[in-house]
Amino acid sequence: MSLLEIDDLRVTYAGRVRAVDGVTLDVPQGSITGLVGESGCGKSTLGRALMGVLPGVGAITGGRIVFEGRDILALSERERRALRWRRMAFIPQTAMNALDPVQRLSAQMREVLIERGGLSRQDAALRAVELFRLVGLDPARLAAYPHQFSGGMRQRASIALALALSPALVIADEPVTALDVIVQRQILDVLRHLQSSLGLAMILVTHDMAVVAYACDRVAVMYAGQIVETGPVAEVLARPLHPYTMGLTHAFPDVHDAHMTLVPIEGSPPSLLNPPPGCRFAARCPFADARCHAEAPPPRMLAPDHRVACFHAEDAPALRRRAAEPATWLTVP
Amino acid sequence: MSHLLEAIGLEKTFRSHGREVHAVADVSLRLSAGEALGIVGESGCGKTTTARMLLRLEEVSAGTILFENDDITHLRGAALRQFRARAQLVFQNPFDALNPRFSIRRSLTEPLRNFGVPRAEHTDRIHDALARVRLTPPAAWLDRHPHELSGGQLQRVVLARALLPGPRLIVADEPVSMLDVSVRAGILNLLREARDTLGLGAIYISHDLALIRYVCERTIVMYLGRIVEEGPTAELIAAPAHPYTRALVAAVPVAHVDQDRSALPIRGNLSDAPRTGAGCAFQDRCLHAMARCSDETPALRMISPGRKVACHLDGVPS
Repeated sequence: MSLLEIDDLRVTYAGRVRAVDGVTLDVPQGSITGLVGESGCGKSTLGRALMGVLPGVGAITGGRIVFEGRDILALSERERRALRWRRMAFIPQTAMNALDPVQRLSAQMREVLIERGGLSRQDAALRAVELFRLVGLDPARLAAYPHQFSGGMRQRASIALALALSPALVIADEPVTALDVIVQRQILDVLRHLQSSLGLAMILVTHDMAVVAYACDRVAVMYAGQIVETGPVAEVLARPLHPYTMGLTHAFPDVHDAHMTLVPIEGSPPSLLNPPPGCRFAARCPFADARCHAEAPPPRMLAPDHRVACFHAEDAPALRRRAAEPATWLTVP
Repeated sequence: MSHLLEAIGLEKTFRSHGREVHAVADVSLRLSAGEALGIVGESGCGKTTTARMLLRLEEVSAGTILFENDDITHLRGAALRQFRARAQLVFQNPFDALNPRFSIRRSLTEPLRNFGVPRAEHTDRIHDALARVRLTPPAAWLDRHPHELSGGQLQRVVLARALLPGPRLIVADEPVSMLDVSVRAGILNLLREARDTLGLGAIYISHDLALIRYVCERTIVMYLGRIVEEGPTAELIAAPAHPYTRALVAAVPVAHVDQDRSALPIRGNLSDAPRTGAGCAFQDRCLHAMARCSDETPALRMISPGRKVACHLDGVPS
């Protein structure tokens, strides 16, 4: 059984914008799942819906979230709150959103450990030291205020805070996006190390396929509120089945490739206020036909553990060859 | 050979808490027409301050800037305005580079008026600029407002606006970092094309070496205000001569599953090492620091034609 099972989840903003529109996803125990997509695709909304921290205008309007065998949407607000921090924790993009600027880090740790975790003062102090070591911070710096830390150190501190009560699942929303490359890599190494040493499961929300390639075991590619492809990272990167995933792999430069030609995916995603009836990527897809515009392709399992929502996935090997040609993507109106 | 742009010994010092902070120290560079130069480094390395000084958006504390062989370091008034038409900045964030209340037409007319382009030429020049960034037909775009455009489309308008006054130099500071991955390539390709067809000199500022490699044949690496390495981009990535460059190259994420995940060849955090004393600025983070590194600041020296490094080592041990 998976740690987390999301079934046909729907999240709506202001009752009209279908930000997450029928997402089904399993997150196995002890793995890092990358949730990758562009701005507005619903990846952050999905992460927040799982945590139960949607903004006021957002509401879950359908589907189920089963976490550790319990349907958490059926829980009372109090039971739900009890899950946060203890069983599932959140790392936001900007560490400053997780940290209180006017409190020493030791005080913030104490608050979580004592008030939410029920630890004694003494145990909390020991645990705070242990957590700082775990994320590569000097415990002597527990007395510091967040502004005395660099961006990377602040992100380490917010990771330490998220791990305080040993959650089973950590949801990290673009945890390295605001950081410089070297710090980015160091934070990803911290996350990878924590995942493997503590055996926890992680959902890493990111726009960057290279971050997924570096840190994740599994990936779910989101487009316009839906998941278009899921599978093991090695499989999805080497043999993408969805044209959007194929396009993404040619859209950004590779530092070690001297003769690369970048191919943009022309156009932009559809409005989620009134999405088209067919495949949401059809308007930007060089391989779309009449059926793609009329009918929404259901997710199908095409290779072991590799799902895709595309009518043309059987032709993927040929499509991959065509997708590598810049001219292919210029044909889209 | 004459250069489009030459900077000699640029310095920028700020006073912070009564202390002098060198944001940029002894930066010299040259750029030919038609050439693209990358300046790469992490936040706080001085790359953006350097770019702003080159464009005269920031006063230099010391040093000289030559543009088409004229000393522009202290230009004022009409002469400075004339320089601004010849050297344009492409903004990082297209979402606040344009006035949200202006139509695209007005945003594009404004610079032409500012630079005194005769009214009769406005329409042709605007149409030409929009064609260069593939926003066609112009009529479909001119009456729109920024909120009706996607990030990629906005950045095309921003690029068109930069090209309008007929610049010889464009400086792009993280030109695609605010854009979605799928549309970044389109902007980078347009920038490459504008440089090729118009013969512009271009300077790209980025923390992303992969992006720099795609658009720049030559690259400068900066660390804490200084140039630590310079060379043809491909060589610098294949065989970094400075230990910092080596860490930077190793840190660039790549979209392959088979990749080196060993610890980066660098110590500590940037904030742990704000050095003001003697010696190499990188010594506290360097895996190869020697006694000499704390006594003597390494000068930028030529190691092969076109390649320079500021390091006492003879090559980085692997």
